[in-house]
Amino acid sequence: MATTLEAEYVFGAEDLGSRAKVVKFAVFQRHEEQGEAQEHELASFEAMMLPHLDAAHNLARWLMRNEQDAQDVVQEAYLRAFKSFSGFHGSNGRAWLLTIVRNTSYTLLKKNRAADLTTPFDEEIHASDRESVSPAAILEHAEDAELMKNAMNGLPAEFREILTLRHQEELSYQEIGEMLKIPVGTVMSRLARARAKLREYLASQMSQEK
Amino acid sequence: MDAYLDGELDPITSQKVEQHLRDCPKCEQAYEVETAMAHAIGQAAPYYKAPPELRERIQVSLRETIGASTSRGAEGGGSMPVRRPEAVRGVFFDMPWNWLALAAAIALAAIVASSFLPKPWQPGAEQFLATQLIASHVRSLMADHLTDVASSDQHTVKPWLDVKLDFAAPVVDLSGDGFPLIGGRLDYLDNHSAAALVYQRRKHFINLFIWPTTPVDGKEQKIVEREGYHLVHWIDGDFTYWAVSDVSVGDLQNFQRLFGKQLAAH
Repeated sequence: MATTLEAEYVFGAEDLGSRAKVVKFAVFQRHEEQGEAQEHELASFEAMMLPHLDAAHNLARWLMRNEQDAQDVVQEAYLRAFKSFSGFHGSNGRAWLLTIVRNTSYTLLKKNRAADLTTPFDEEIHASDRESVSPAAILEHAEDAELMKNAMNGLPAEFREILTLRHQEELSYQEIGEMLKIPVGTVMSRLARARAKLREYLASQMSQEK
Repeated sequence: MDAYLDGELDPITSQKVEQHLRDCPKCEQAYEVETAMAHAIGQAAPYYKAPPELRERIQVSLRETIGASTSRGAEGGGSMPVRRPEAVRGVFFDMPWNWLALAAAIALAAIVASSFLPKPWQPGAEQFLATQLIASHVRSLMADHLTDVASSDQHTVKPWLDVKLDFAAPVVDLSGDGFPLIGGRLDYLDNHSAAALVYQRRKHFINLFIWPTTPVDGKEQKIVEREGYHLVHWIDGDFTYWAVSDVSVGDLQNFQRLFGKQLAAH
């Protein structure tokens, strides 16, 4: 704020030089009030929402599965969020922003390829040999970043989002339920299914390696 | 079991599950696998931080949206404010020059003065403190501002802080409990200097602000939630503590408990 104010001052001081410009300055005053209110709103929006930029980007990146789309989604989501910011009175800015990021992601996903949302997980492939792999071996592979990334990306969008919201953003069941508009019981069961699928995928990867 | 794993059970049910896991090897094994999975998603799966250019891109596009609906902005140049001078000129045209200059000067003075006046909204002292704490926490997470002394060794952080501050802030390492010490920082809050210890909880950071308790500091333990951040306040010995983070309240309380325990053990 301090710098813009200084700029205004300079602007005003210069314009006292001639009569026509003084009139211009008087008009400028009125626009000033409007603009200042909006700048104030933008400043509080940024102070509240920019700290959650990493979380927004991470969610979008997992949902879109590519960097370019993720960045477009995040930018679009911030613009949408700013437009409806005056209607936001809650205390949980992060969950609010992430909800908008999620909705924006789905809009783009649907537009890009309706298939992505509906493609069922390939149970046949991923379920194979799951009994033959020991938990210890799964544990070992669970630390492999590349493998984990591929495994996560192999899951449907609804599993990708719930895993990242819970285990990376560490949102509570209740926060996730509110975001996805589903009951807490559904959050739990979906999360359990998502983890089970991920484990099956890891197991199938390992049996392929053998 | 999933709710147990996610730490979302009440203490009694949680204890029952714990008991069962001890007695049932099959469930215990399943639990270990689940824990590892949850851990792996949090740790091994990549966390995609936003690239710096994305932040800039967003800030520019946000400014464009307000620039479009007002006459502000350097890009607009002087062209937009002068769009309607004729209409206004009708009103002011015959006024003598010095009156206009005086009016403009008064308007200008009003703008400049308004920036120095206190804001009409005067928050309570505690709200104000909470705002300062969150602001300091957020600032610390911005580029390279997290620590003044980066060390996971409490025997490095503590002497460093002791030299800079007029009090000896307690420093303990909690890496064994899942809260590794990242470093320390100096801060100035509520009109006195404070030590800020930075701890990590998985991908998140906790700022623990410490200063010698003053008469104005609240005596009771307190939990505040604001803007998606949690603040936990407590007093122990001669010091006032404020822990600030976006981790859950449960994690922060756990942190408080562990901190107290470690401190007592010293």
